[in-house]
This record gives sequence, structure tokens and C-alpha cells, in this order.
Amino acid sequence: MMSCQSFRANAESREPEVLEHLRKCDACLEYAVSVDPDHFFRAIGGEELEPPGGVDAFTADVMAQVRLRQAEGSVARRFLIAPRRLAAAAVIVVAIGAGALVYERNDQNVGPTLSRSAPAESRRHVITATKPIVETYQSQGATIVEIPSQGSNDASVVMIFDDSLPADL
Amino acid sequence: MKRALVLCSVLLMMTSVVFADDAGAGAKSLSVHTFTFKYKDADKAAAMIKPLMSSEGSLSMQASTNALVVTDRPENLKAITKALTEFDQPPQPFRIVVRLIGASRSEGRPRVTDEMKDIAPKLGMLGFNSLDDLGSADVTGREGDPGIVTLSSGYRADFKFGEYDPTSDSVQISDFRLSKQQSDQLTPLLKTTLNLRIGQMYIVGATKTPKSPRALMIVLVARK
Repeated sequence: MMSCQSFRANAESREPEVLEHLRKCDACLEYAVSVDPDHFFRAIGGEELEPPGGVDAFTADVMAQVRLRQAEGSVARRFLIAPRRLAAAAVIVVAIGAGALVYERNDQNVGPTLSRSAPAESRRHVITATKPIVETYQSQGATIVEIPSQGSNDASVVMIFDDSLPADL
Repeated sequence: MKRALVLCSVLLMMTSVVFADDAGAGAKSLSVHTFTFKYKDADKAAAMIKPLMSSEGSLSMQASTNALVVTDRPENLKAITKALTEFDQPPQPFRIVVRLIGASRSEGRPRVTDEMKDIAPKLGMLGFNSLDDLGSADVTGREGDPGIVTLSSGYRADFKFGEYDPTSDSVQISDFRLSKQQSDQLTPLLKTTLNLRIGQMYIVGATKTPKSPRALMIVLVARK
């Protein structure tokens, strides 16, 4: 068997003696692997191994597996991105909704006291109630008839039929 | 993936906060406000705002401070605040135009002067085709002031300028008493309280029965 010094001097060689030293000397195997990882493969006799179906078929299988894994990875990435986008969109929608809610509540906030300096806009009359023309009348036995007007510019007519009224009004 | 989960959790938390807040708002949606009045009476203000209140609303008066405590939905309170702000003002001036017309049913030709052509169609519908002008007068006064109308035909009207109601844009003519001078005596004819919307013409007719041949028409217009 050759010495360690001789092996390290001829580490790149593929002579049978060199390979035999590689198989038997752990220190030189470690050294050889640090120089060229293929040495380890050679040390276990990898040079003589041939994959079932031939090297070309083996290579094709490996490459097919590589492409399959790449495709799976890209699909997985797509599915990972989608929830993020969805979550971001949902956060924006919720933020807009919350903002609108806060704005609406502020708008509905009513001051605690009567404001004497209300803007002219708020002083505009809002007619929300209608009142009877005749609020009270002296006689309980009278009949009061309100004749509806045709519009706001039309005169409203109310007739009071009261037996207690004098004939010569 | 981890980030997506964190984002989803944050989203869920925010959503639950918003919905919990909303549910809380629904449960306690009624607000309470106290209105203290400087110029008007709280009891009159209470009567005025009743049409503006929701079925869930309530109010109570504090007579000692002339205040009104109103509980209602925020949107109703907004309208109530607006109406009360307009209501609690110093007495406003108004002008009341009073015109008296003697209306009768005659079988002959209709007798209507040019001054009464504006109301003749309305009275014609009631069967009154002869109209006599008994005089007119303008009276100006502020809320709470008395008003007196004396016409040369012998009629006299006494009344009080009542409160202005911003919710119906109307002023009340309280204790409107119509009298007629007969010989040396002033004979009372009728007494009523009227609500007049600003700018609207009202014809208040008084007669014994629907078939009476004669009626007294009081034409009123209130202006600011």
C-alpha cells in the first residue's frame, strides 16, 4: 500500500493503488473529499455503478422529478400569496367601513345645549308637522269643517256651524 | 403562510371589534339631552316637539329650571334641537291681516266687488254668491302682545299673538274674540284660537247651520 504522502501527491490520479489507499485511510479520504467531493464516490466504488435502466433513463427520471418539484413549488407559492392579498384587501375594506361608521357617528353627534350661533343653513325651516286651523272654539256643540286647499298658495277654508251664533251675523 | 395567518387573525379581531361596537350602539341607541329655555316655556316646547319624537322617545319637564329632558334617538334629537333652537328666540314680530266679509246666498246676479275676486270662487263653492266688504285692518305685534282690530262696520276683534311654531311654520292667534257693536252694546259673537301658517290665506266662516242664508267670513293672513 502506498504511503499517505504519495497518495496526497497523486490524489487526482485514478490508479488502482491510489483508490485502494483511499478506501483504507480515513485521514486521506477526508483530505481527498475536501479537495474533490467526487473522491468519496470513487472510494465506495461508484465508478463501476450503473443505475437500473441506464444512465440516460436515470437522468431523465431525475430531471422529471426536478421539474415536478419546481411546478409544485410555484403553485404552492401562488396559494401562499393569494391569502395575503385577500387579507390585505379585507383589512382595507374593514378600515374603510370603520372610517365610514366613525364619520357617521360624528355627524350624528348632537351638542348638549341649544346653539345660538347655528349656521344659517340649520335655521332653515323644516316643516314636519301640520296643525289644525281651529285649535279651540267656544262652543262644544259646533261643527267645524276644514275644506282642504288645492296647494300652499290656495286659500284654506274652515266653516264653523254653530247653532248658538246669532242669525244676523 | 405565517404572515397570512397573522393578517387573518388581525382581520378577524378588527371585524369583531367593529361588529361588537355596532351591536352595542344598537342596544344603547337612545340619547338624553337637557334643554333649558330662556325665552319660552318648557311646557309649550314639549307640546311643540311631540310630533318630532319617535315611539321610543320620552320627555320630562323641570319646572323649577324651565328645562326639558328629552330622551330619543340621535337623529330625532338632532331635529328636536334644531326646532327648539328656532323656538327659544326672543318674541318675534308678526303682521296679521284681518278682513271681514258678509256672505249671503242670493238668487239674483252674483254681487262681488273687485277687491273680493280672490276669494269669491272659494265662497261660491259654498253657495255664497253675494259678498259685502265689512272692512279690513293690519295688526302688527310680537309674540305675547295683544292685538285689536276695530272696523267701521261695527265689528271688533281682540286677540293675542301666540307662539310661533317652527315645526309647522305657524303662529297661534289665541283668544280671538269677535264682537259686534249693536246700539250702545258690544255683543260677543264667537271666541276661538287659530293656527295660521305664515303666508297662507285662511277663510274662517261662521254661520248657524249649513243652510243658513248668511255667514260671516273672517279672512286672515299671517306674515313675518
